[in-house]
Amino acid sequence: MSIRSFLLLLALVLGAAALPGPTLAAGEGATAGQVPGESLGNTSDADFWRAVREGQPQTISIPDREAAVLIQSEGENWRNIRNGPISTIGGWLLVGVIILVSLYFAIRGRIRITGGRSGKRIQRFTQMQRVGHWFVASMFILLGSSGLVLLYGRYGLPYLIGKDGFATLASASLQAHNLFGPLFIASIVVLFFTFVKGNWLSRDDIGWIAKLGGFFGGHASSRFYNFGEKNWFWMSMSLGLILSVSGIILDFPALLEDRYAQQLAHIGHAASALVFISVGLGHIYLGVFGVEGAVEGMTTGTVDANWAKDHHDLWYEEVMADEAAKAGGE
Amino acid sequence: MSNVATQVIDHFVSQVGAQAATWLQSCVHCGECAEACHFYEVTKDPRYTPAWKLEPFARAYRARKAPFAGVRRALGLAKEPDEAELNEWQELIYDSCTMCGRCTMVCPMGIDIASLVGLARKSMAANGIGPEDLFAVAEKSREVGSPLGVTPEKMEERIDWLSDEHEVDIPLNKEKAEVLLTISSIETMKYPQSIVAMAQVLNHAGIDWTFSTKGYEATNFGVLSGKADVAKVMIERIVAAAESVGAKTVIIPECGHAYGALRWTGAMMLGRPLPFEVFHITEYLAMLKRDGKLKLKPMDDAITYHDPCQISRRGGATEAAREVLDGFATGFREMSPTGNANWCCGGGGGVAAIQRATPLRLKVFEIKMKQVEDSGADIMVSACANCRQTLDGGKEHYKWDREIGSLVEIVADHLVKA
Amino acid sequence: MSFLEFTEGPLWYVALVVFSVGVAWNIIGILAMRVRGDSAVPRKSPVAGGIKAIFLHMAPHGGFFSRTAYHVIVGYLFHLGLFALLLFGSFHVAFIKEWTGLSWTPLPRWGFIIASEVAFAGLILMWIRRWTDPITRQISDRDDHIGTGLTMLAMLTGCFALGEASDGLRAVHMLSVELLMLYFPFSRLMHAFTFIFSRYFMGAAYGKRGYVP
Repeated sequence: MSIRSFLLLLALVLGAAALPGPTLAAGEGATAGQVPGESLGNTSDADFWRAVREGQPQTISIPDREAAVLIQSEGENWRNIRNGPISTIGGWLLVGVIILVSLYFAIRGRIRITGGRSGKRIQRFTQMQRVGHWFVASMFILLGSSGLVLLYGRYGLPYLIGKDGFATLASASLQAHNLFGPLFIASIVVLFFTFVKGNWLSRDDIGWIAKLGGFFGGHASSRFYNFGEKNWFWMSMSLGLILSVSGIILDFPALLEDRYAQQLAHIGHAASALVFISVGLGHIYLGVFGVEGAVEGMTTGTVDANWAKDHHDLWYEEVMADEAAKAGGE
Repeated sequence: MSNVATQVIDHFVSQVGAQAATWLQSCVHCGECAEACHFYEVTKDPRYTPAWKLEPFARAYRARKAPFAGVRRALGLAKEPDEAELNEWQELIYDSCTMCGRCTMVCPMGIDIASLVGLARKSMAANGIGPEDLFAVAEKSREVGSPLGVTPEKMEERIDWLSDEHEVDIPLNKEKAEVLLTISSIETMKYPQSIVAMAQVLNHAGIDWTFSTKGYEATNFGVLSGKADVAKVMIERIVAAAESVGAKTVIIPECGHAYGALRWTGAMMLGRPLPFEVFHITEYLAMLKRDGKLKLKPMDDAITYHDPCQISRRGGATEAAREVLDGFATGFREMSPTGNANWCCGGGGGVAAIQRATPLRLKVFEIKMKQVEDSGADIMVSACANCRQTLDGGKEHYKWDREIGSLVEIVADHLVKA
Repeated sequence: MSFLEFTEGPLWYVALVVFSVGVAWNIIGILAMRVRGDSAVPRKSPVAGGIKAIFLHMAPHGGFFSRTAYHVIVGYLFHLGLFALLLFGSFHVAFIKEWTGLSWTPLPRWGFIIASEVAFAGLILMWIRRWTDPITRQISDRDDHIGTGLTMLAMLTGCFALGEASDGLRAVHMLSVELLMLYFPFSRLMHAFTFIFSRYFMGAAYGKRGYVP
């Protein structure tokens, strides 16, 4: 950049700053077909502005590498994507899941245990699995709620609790979100290792898919985990991975020193979090309310034998065969 | 609230001093005590968590005695247990606690749960809440001098018969003696060979000793059942006997809780220091061995030692039995865990006398079988007739192939004849 | 008076008085009870036994570690994290200095964050255990959950206020800490003080017999 064009730019910026705020908005400050300043000479203003808009780094004399880019146009794209499609589609996704779950509950009701409880308890999840699950669950709640405040809070909360109130809440959410992030990363790794066994896809899953999981009537056979649960496992693991990596990039901007990577990480973080939360709502519904007797497996570690027969008949048979073998061996 | 429950609670809180108060108040409900309890270990029933066994009593303490108890009552925050609840708790205070004290080892707060169970038993027993059969045994001790009905006459008869049968000199009612020996009525009735063995060893070492019909029963079912009056009578009898023969030493036979009762709580129950020294027979044997008064033939059987809780963990005499076995029993090996951390036999603390607790007790024996089998021992000796009886019951039930014996008996069997 | 002034003024004084007087009253109330006499001839020193028990019970002994590892590890995570952030967090050091004039070197911010994460992980893991272990499910009561909940709340509001951006957040943190202090003397949280007496009394009683369990 020549001194001449720099001075020109400086004058422009100072001049613009002197104007009343709103006139700065895009498209209003400049008249179509006119560019400010001189259009003759050995520098083309068109070229100059193109260079600015393309975000080419120029020569600077301070160590901050980022300052070499005058306008990073992707910032506008990022803002548009975040506040546009991500927020909109994500929001509808959340609302959609809630409506879907409510509809399903209204039609199907709570899925009861066939023939009621048998009184016989079968060990389902180990203490380690239960602990891992609930730790991730508490992180899910803490990070999910603080994250939603950061993404959507601006649309309603300022009207409810005032701008200052929302600023306070947003600051609190940001701090909590940053603090709990690393704990989520650690716990999702533990969760992978404690739950991966039994979650590989197998041939039995085809039957389950064919019967639509028995969600709309009929009985779908499955082993320890059914196809839906396996999906949830792999989905939360991959989303967890994206959330973890992007979260680290966002938490430690100095790691990459790349604004574009930050923007990408942010978009990936928000999008995967929204999918995670949406599907998570379905998981919570089925685990806690929708299926009688399911939550006990994760609280006490045991489930009723009739529940096992209903939902995981192939696993139930394996357990019974093991028991019989043990009894026979003694 | 029923009257009986109020009386139990009144009694309980009246016993609570600074120690019990800190213990009742420090429990953070971490539940680790379950990991140490043999009743939990074999059933995995969380009701057998030691801290849970004290729950109504801790609640009563919070409502009636703890600092701010008045505030709690005023706000209706502390519900005292009623009679039905106390009756329901019999199973936890009596049937499923041997007061072995193992839970204290694992407690981060160092709570002496066994002693608190002892206090709870006293308050329940004072108001007639508890197992009938255990109470009957305690009453029998008061009336006839021994829990199994060994009256002074019967004692004399037994001693006569034993000394004839085994050709051993068993002094009874000597005018004066340095040492007073006591017995456990389980030995008198079930393991008389133990009495013979003790006599043989003491004679071998040239000790001036005697039995006395004034006080011979070391077993103290008053302590076990929580009947404080019976407990005191039993102690007073031994003191009277020792004083009448001028004994400076009293030996407790192979009986765990009898040792604790006399050695550690005797003076307190009596209200004055004991006028003699108290030794458990294993401690006395160890002393004799140290003094070179025991000449023993080596024994090479694969043998292990079951620690009676009240001798080892709660008695502090863990090393005595090992000292006796050391060098003489060449095939001796420890089980795991052992010593102060050893598992209880399941019949201590009076549980052996509670009929309805039998299935639970037998289940506990599974732990012991595994421990012994893992050690590779063929013989398990103990130094407590109550343990031995419980273990024998288990052996019989499971048709177990290992031998169960007594430390004194194997020592007597290996004395080098002069 | 602003909300912050209220929580750092009158309410703070009330909480401080209730906490200190309550804790003192509780301890004195216990120690004023009859100390059970024991005239048995000791085998070993009861005092030595009592002191030994205080240290011995800092970790499981007698082969119990593997059985209790979860609780021991998460228990220490929570307690160590809590002490570190409570005593060495720069805001806490500043607060203590303001009230007492005493001050010491605080942790750097990253150290404080790590301490907080450790404390949170420990507390959440302990709470989860309370809900998922059949033993603790059986024995836990209202007090256990209120105590844990108030501690969690105080830590959470502290974490919210990390940005030091708002008086409101500082006041909310103060309020939650004050709630915890008001609840403390009447609850099982008192174990923070009574554990030392509890261990000592047990150690003295058994040390006398020759073995401290």
